Amino acid sequence: MSSNGESKCYFIQLQIDGYLDGDLSEAQQGVFMSHVQDCSACASEFRYAQTIQDAVIELPQIECDDLVLEPVYELAAGGRLGKDEVHRDSLIAQIGGLLNSVPLYFRYGFSAALVAVVAVVVSFSVVTPIEGPETLVASESVEQYSREDIVQALHELNVAMDYVSQLSQRTEVMIGDRFLVTPLQDSINASFQRVRTREYDPLQNGPI
Amino acid sequence: MRALYLQAIDQHRHRVLSFAHYSLRVREDAEDVTQEVFIKLWQHWQKIDHEKLGAWLMRVAHNSVIDHVRKQRPQQTNLDQYAQVEDQVGEESDVTHLDQHHFKSQLQSAIKSLEDPFRSIVIMRDIQGMSYEEIQGSLELSASQVKVYLHRARRKLRENSKLRQLFEEQIADRSEVKKSIALVASNDKGNGHVQ
Repeated sequence: MSSNGESKCYFIQLQIDGYLDGDLSEAQQGVFMSHVQDCSACASEFRYAQTIQDAVIELPQIECDDLVLEPVYELAAGGRLGKDEVHRDSLIAQIGGLLNSVPLYFRYGFSAALVAVVAVVVSFSVVTPIEGPETLVASESVEQYSREDIVQALHELNVAMDYVSQLSQRTEVMIGDRFLVTPLQDSINASFQRVRTREYDPLQNGPI
Repeated sequence: MRALYLQAIDQHRHRVLSFAHYSLRVREDAEDVTQEVFIKLWQHWQKIDHEKLGAWLMRVAHNSVIDHVRKQRPQQTNLDQYAQVEDQVGEESDVTHLDQHHFKSQLQSAIKSLEDPFRSIVIMRDIQGMSYEEIQGSLELSASQVKVYLHRARRKLRENSKLRQLFEEQIADRSEVKKSIALVASNDKGNGHVQ
């Protein structure tokens, strides 16, 4: 075969796929077929390519049984979410999804119970318990404070009450017909006086 | 969501399993890939562009197959145990059909031995009949790349020495049969038999 013929065969064989796919123009198809009819080497190569192409196209689609997908169906039936979905959904969305899967009466009952639990937890953590006088006495150690400490504390409290009293008088804030702090201040002054004279123990009856 | 999900499974299950089967040629692995694909579909259902669901599924299947191929590489001896699938074609006992069976089995091995993306493109285009656009979306390639790879893949298949040998044996057998028929016919004529 001449070199011209070899190069012709080379280009014709490059066009085999194009011919099989129907991508060649009519003119190209004519040139292709006329060469293949005259050239046994290209005819053989063409038949080989066509045989493989036909065999590939005839390979069957594989049927997928239900058994293969059983785990997948179980996943869908159980409604379990994948990891990504769990991370993507907010807590509220997850609770909403959970509630949607239960009866209506349970949804409202669950919501009410949830609110009640939250309220109880908040009240325990925020509200300080009110201690009675007995608890106060029990929790404080009387012997820790000297008489001078108590006198000093009463003095400071008296100064503070005096300031509040003056403020009350200036702004004319009264309860009933009396200024708020006056009786308190009188009581503190009396206690203060008693402690100074050491004739009375303020811790037994209280300064106020 | 569940109804749509089941509908998507019914629509794509055979295609996904076929792709995995022709890529891996091991029944269990192909089934594993199929399960993985549809579990991922469930997990990513809300993120997916459902207009391109088919392409998304094939992309996931393709990635899953690549993972399985990587895992398999050290133990190649287990391959081709699922070559009997094409027995679905029917049972005929003539020599020609046995040759075809052998040829197709060898062809599947040759497809499986192609490197990716040649293998995936041949399966998607020539076996599954997917459009070039679907293949582009599945493999994230351009249209020109898909065409070039497809032609290279077919050429690589034709270069498979075992396939060529089988083909030439078949051609030789057929020409022998033709010669025998011609010889019998000429003998019959010489003996005065009427055709």
